[in-house]
Amino acid sequence: MTTAVPYRVTTPRVLRSEWHKFWTLRSTWITLAVASALVLAVGITMGSTYDGDDSEIDTVVFVLLGTQLSQLCVAVLGILVTAGEYSTGMIRASLTAVPRRVPVLWSKAGVFAAVAFALGFLTNVITFLVAQIWLSDGDKATSLTDPGVLGALAGNAAGITLMSLIALGLGALLRSVPAAIGAFVGAALILPEILGMLPYDAVDSAVNHFPTQSAASLGSATHLVGAVSPAMGLLSLTLWAAAVLTAAALLLRRRDV
Amino acid sequence: MTIRAHGLTKRYGDKTVVQDLTFTVNPGTVTGFLGPNGAGKSTTMRMLLGLDTPTAGHATVGGRAYAAHTAPLREVGALLEARSIHPGRTAFHHLMALAHTHGVPRSRVDHVLALTGLTDVAGKRVKGFSLGMGQRLGIAAALIADPATVILDEPVNGLDPEGVLWVRNLLKSLAAEGRTVLVSSHLMSEMALTADHLVIIGRGRLLADTTVADLVRESGAAYVKVVTPEAVRLRELLSGDPGVEVTGESPDTLHIRGADAPQIGRTAATHGIPLFELTPRTASLEQAFMDLTHDSVEYQATAMTGAAA
Repeated sequence: MTTAVPYRVTTPRVLRSEWHKFWTLRSTWITLAVASALVLAVGITMGSTYDGDDSEIDTVVFVLLGTQLSQLCVAVLGILVTAGEYSTGMIRASLTAVPRRVPVLWSKAGVFAAVAFALGFLTNVITFLVAQIWLSDGDKATSLTDPGVLGALAGNAAGITLMSLIALGLGALLRSVPAAIGAFVGAALILPEILGMLPYDAVDSAVNHFPTQSAASLGSATHLVGAVSPAMGLLSLTLWAAAVLTAAALLLRRRDV
Repeated sequence: MTIRAHGLTKRYGDKTVVQDLTFTVNPGTVTGFLGPNGAGKSTTMRMLLGLDTPTAGHATVGGRAYAAHTAPLREVGALLEARSIHPGRTAFHHLMALAHTHGVPRSRVDHVLALTGLTDVAGKRVKGFSLGMGQRLGIAAALIADPATVILDEPVNGLDPEGVLWVRNLLKSLAAEGRTVLVSSHLMSEMALTADHLVIIGRGRLLADTTVADLVRESGAAYVKVVTPEAVRLRELLSGDPGVEVTGESPDTLHIRGADAPQIGRTAATHGIPLFELTPRTASLEQAFMDLTHDSVEYQATAMTGAAA
């Protein structure tokens, strides 16, 4: 205890710790593998069975239909990153090591978002290219360099990442994996559908700015009918994620662990 | 690194778990933090670490709040009562994740794994660990950044006799190195073997802040049991000394307080009194603790008779 080792908590070190924690759990590998496999499998199915029936659907949306399934996997992983630490008690060790607390949440969100976006984008590009093996001689023949295609492939990944950051924030707020999954499915996926059935135009245009609808606007190479613009979608979705994470950070500072 | 609690109070709704607790824990000795189950020991420890915010009062380690230190794990290593480990991670990765936050090198992780006897299971997931192995991993995590202060909540829980002995020696050696050691227990007998200083609480209140020796002395529980066929004579001889108190449980058995065994033995020898038994009874620390905490035990077994020691 007399040696002068420069042990200190720094932001890069907290990030490194969260990176280490992220990759040393099997659940991380499993959810990420399942998410990617779903997107690829559905993309291959859509491409190989295309018979010209869905010609009005945007090609990127069409080959990435599997992301509607992978979204839940990635969101669950986001929830496990935060709420999983509460259910196991690990959070006490994490916050004893970093008693300022909030850097732990930002680092978790940062590591998770970087991985989710990078893997999502890569999976989308591969899926798009593989699906084109069957589509390249029909009306859905599209190239990566066509206008809006790369943007939509990246936009889809960004949409899933931001949606899943909302899930990660809900996990930190609710501190329970099942409660956070319930809240995410209810608030992000079911609530806008119910509100959309109400006969009010104001509600309809508000629902367009909800997370799921904003995310959808990001993942299409052509403008979706009735949706907000991709820029507006990105802004709305970012604000939603920022709001949930900020609420989680404020409560993290105040609550007993 | 001195731990200081100033008027620590914690309330949940209208239940007061810790009430105006003030005490100091000094370096170089093992301080036992004693109290019956539910006395508020774990809550107090969580407040020392900033995990729980006190309703009133505050706690410092080395003059600052725990969270204000730039390298908190280097100031305080803690083992909490509740498990604080993700069961899906291996022992090595659990320690490495904590080490990364402070820039602690891998060699130190290997060192604490060896120190706690976990090297062989370092690559196994914690899920399969026994209670004792979990405790050892918790202790390894507490020592990860070579802390100046060690706070351990019920460290011998779930350990086998060998493990208990290991913890006892570890605590003593940590204190001998000049570290501050605060260790909680609800077992007086365990503390009697490890601790020099005692902070005793009951129902969240401070009952005693004392040393093991003082507690025994003040409780009046220490006496010497003497069995002799000439009890009456010996009693007369010893009673001449004003500091000595003699009681007896049977005609040939005396309980003597205020004189130690050599003194009694010599007196008996000088006067040619045969002694069949001369036994110092100091092991009734448990009784002293029971007397002290009797009123503050949360759930009392009604059928139990108080006199055990």
